[in-house]
Amino acid sequence: MEKVFEVKNLQFTYRKNQIKAVNGISFDVYKGEVFGLLGPSGAGKSTTQKILTKLFKDYQGEILYLGKDLKTYNNDYYEDLGVGFELPVHFSKLTGLENMKFFSQLYKNHRDIETLLKAVGLYEDRNRMVSDYSKGMKMRLNFVRAMLNDPKILFLDEVTNGLDPKNARIIKDLIRQFKEAGGTVFLSTHLMNDVEELCDRVAFIRGGEIVEIATPRELKIRFGKRELKVEYFNNGTTSEALFELDGIGENKAFLELINTYEVETMHSGETSLDDIFIKVTGEVGNV
Amino acid sequence: MSNFGLLMKGEMLRLIKYKIIQISFVVTILWLLIIFMIGSDQAATFVPIFIFTDAALMTVLLVGASLFYEKQENTLKTLMITPSGLHAIIASKVISAIYLALQSTVIIALFANLLFAVEIRFIALIAFVIVIAFAHTAIGYTFSLFAKDFNELIAQVGAYMIVFAIPTLFYALGVFSEVFETVLMFSPTHAALLMINYTFFSSTRLVLLLIGLAYLIVVPVLLFIYIIIPKYPETAVKD
Ligand SMILES: Nc1ncnc2c1ncn2[C@@H]1O[C@H](COP(=O)(O)OP(=O)(O)OP(=O)(O)O)[C@@H](O)[C@H]1O
Ligand SMILES: [Mg+2]
Repeated sequence: MEKVFEVKNLQFTYRKNQIKAVNGISFDVYKGEVFGLLGPSGAGKSTTQKILTKLFKDYQGEILYLGKDLKTYNNDYYEDLGVGFELPVHFSKLTGLENMKFFSQLYKNHRDIETLLKAVGLYEDRNRMVSDYSKGMKMRLNFVRAMLNDPKILFLDEVTNGLDPKNARIIKDLIRQFKEAGGTVFLSTHLMNDVEELCDRVAFIRGGEIVEIATPRELKIRFGKRELKVEYFNNGTTSEALFELDGIGENKAFLELINTYEVETMHSGETSLDDIFIKVTGEVGNV
Repeated sequence: MSNFGLLMKGEMLRLIKYKIIQISFVVTILWLLIIFMIGSDQAATFVPIFIFTDAALMTVLLVGASLFYEKQENTLKTLMITPSGLHAIIASKVISAIYLALQSTVIIALFANLLFAVEIRFIALIAFVIVIAFAHTAIGYTFSLFAKDFNELIAQVGAYMIVFAIPTLFYALGVFSEVFETVLMFSPTHAALLMINYTFFSSTRLVLLLIGLAYLIVVPVLLFIYIIIPKYPETAVKD
């Protein structure tokens, strides 16, 4: 598979407080995938995104973009990039539409602004000043901002931050569409939900180090408990029983149960990514 | 249009939408009112001081405050991920600051000239105000790139004004001899005031004028090359 980014032993220290925010991480991002960078607050997600988007240039280690050192690219690099920031990034005294028109002009390629605004449900509010927008509206405008230049790669930092479930759904669908059209996505988040629904692969980052890279499915299998929960009707009430998944075909108790009672439902012991997040990073994820 | 032209257009739109042009215009009207109240005999003395205040001190404050405000809105950051390039971004901001200084200068100068027949070397005035505003844009940026918050910026600018205004004041009061004025040229405010005075036909030693002019071009260029351009991205990107 074609690699969009190859990151090797990346390190970054904030000069001001000598904090090693990124401490020797390595990973690849493949073309056409949604790559998630997942970790607790302060883990180094935003820092990593800022390095990859060339906002921080004095890093150690190596980053290749399409096989060439990132440092050899000039500002045309930004023609390929759509960047969704963690916080609103607009002129508050300009309308949503004025903001988008201004930023759009600065690129060679353009998506139709009105179509994008319609897609995120901001078309009706396009002529209102951004200072009158709610947090969620500003974040949706951030997403439109990221898509303006029809990018090849989307960097999204906490993209569903401040969105209600309906709007979060809309944005996630747009990300999926972007991916289906061949786009690559680099997604930083601490929300399991985003990862589970969107990511092809996920890297867990903690204290500036990557502790795990895998597909969400692999993680669930690896960390999942190998057990089966059976819920069945027993004298008009629902009872439940737990069985080891290994050798379940010879498990007498299990076989007797399913032959005797009417089974209501069965669950394999899949661990939620939330549990995995806590296990892998040693911290409680905020959902 | 080139990205620089587009950035320039964006800056002008920002000046209007954030009512900066309008506020600057109101301040200019206030100067005009004061000139009007002072009357014609004193106008020639005060007009240069008002133009100096507008082009030098107001520019420092306006540029500094503006940078803080934009940093808060994160618009500096989102511009950094466009293909525009750092130099075009900074240049558009510098030129819009110079434009503001020119706008008030031209209005004040025309008013003084037409109403009170104050004599002015117009071309020199415009050229010098461009240089003075350029220098003070650099000073304003330097202060705001180092200030942690808005209050600190105000404190720095206040300290700067006092430190550089005092020698000029003493000199004006005749405390120092004339030889000392050459040393005083190393105060950007003194150099600026001397240049503006020249355009109002006050007796000015030409050599001092040239020193001042050179100084107010060299200092900002050095500030841009060694401080502002290297430090700007870091400030722009910070959350
Ligand atoms: N501008 C800065 N100056 C100094 N240290 C910083 C700066 N920004 C971040 N850090 C530090 O670097 C580390 C990583 O921060 P980063 O913002 O990358 O975390 P994050 O994973 O994005 O967290 P969050 O989920 O809260 O956004 C933290 O320890 C943080 O305190
Ligand atoms: Mg972050």
